[in-house]
Amino acid sequence: MHMPPWFWFTVITLVSWGIVGLLQKLSTNYISAESSLIWLVVGFMVLEPFFYPGAAVFHYSGWNIFWALASGALNALGAWALFIAMKSGGKASIVAPVTALYPLVVIAMVPIILHESISRLQIAGVISALIAVVLLSV
Amino acid sequence: MALKETIRARWFWYSILCILCWGGWAMMSKLGSREIPPETMQFLFTIGTLPVAVMLLVARRFRLEKSSKGISFAILNGVLSGIGGLTLFAAYHTGSNTALVTSASALYPMVTVLLAVTILREHIRPIQIVGLLFAAAAIVIFSL
Repeated sequence: MHMPPWFWFTVITLVSWGIVGLLQKLSTNYISAESSLIWLVVGFMVLEPFFYPGAAVFHYSGWNIFWALASGALNALGAWALFIAMKSGGKASIVAPVTALYPLVVIAMVPIILHESISRLQIAGVISALIAVVLLSV
Repeated sequence: MALKETIRARWFWYSILCILCWGGWAMMSKLGSREIPPETMQFLFTIGTLPVAVMLLVARRFRLEKSSKGISFAILNGVLSGIGGLTLFAAYHTGSNTALVTSASALYPMVTVLLAVTILREHIRPIQIVGLLFAAAAIVIFSL
């Protein structure tokens, strides 16, 4: 079976974030979700010296730098919105699977913005993944 | 009636906001990754998260709980999230299909459920077993 390069990178993401899901549970046993998010950003900062690009960062286009910065801000804002949803009376068993459907936004935007298309078999895979994410989060 | 109540509920709109933010995060990650290498993407991503963390700190009037266990778990969370983010940027940087990479990476609750069962000795529910089967099917399809 030939695995495309993106697959192995994604497997590492899956394992890392899978452990994060577990640690999230453990950390919120001791501190609030907001504090957990703040300390999570501190954890991000621990890695910064390893990824420091130096002056090379100015070689990239302004728009791409903006996308990278905005991706961080949107990720954190999304986490904040999730916490508020839970605090505002949303049941975790409903809010978690609903918010796990964020790939739908990407699937809707990709053909328009990036002009990418996927095969029917891959569509079946995406649907399968979305069903799995919802069932696993319930 | 239940639908009307749900649409009026505050939590519902915050959930929608969360979906839109995370959808936007994935899209912008892809857009930036077309040119910028994964390490620099992760570096800039972290800078992007800082204003939200500061906003939260201000909202809490700089008061944080002092549980060393909770703090350690949360910092480790950040380190592992960063590693996962780095490899996600690397996956986007390969030029592969954005919808596939995003959907595959969203399957991480599968690993959480498996770890919760093996490490925390939590019981797995039948619905989660069905979820794991769908996840396995998705992974097999993506690898074809």
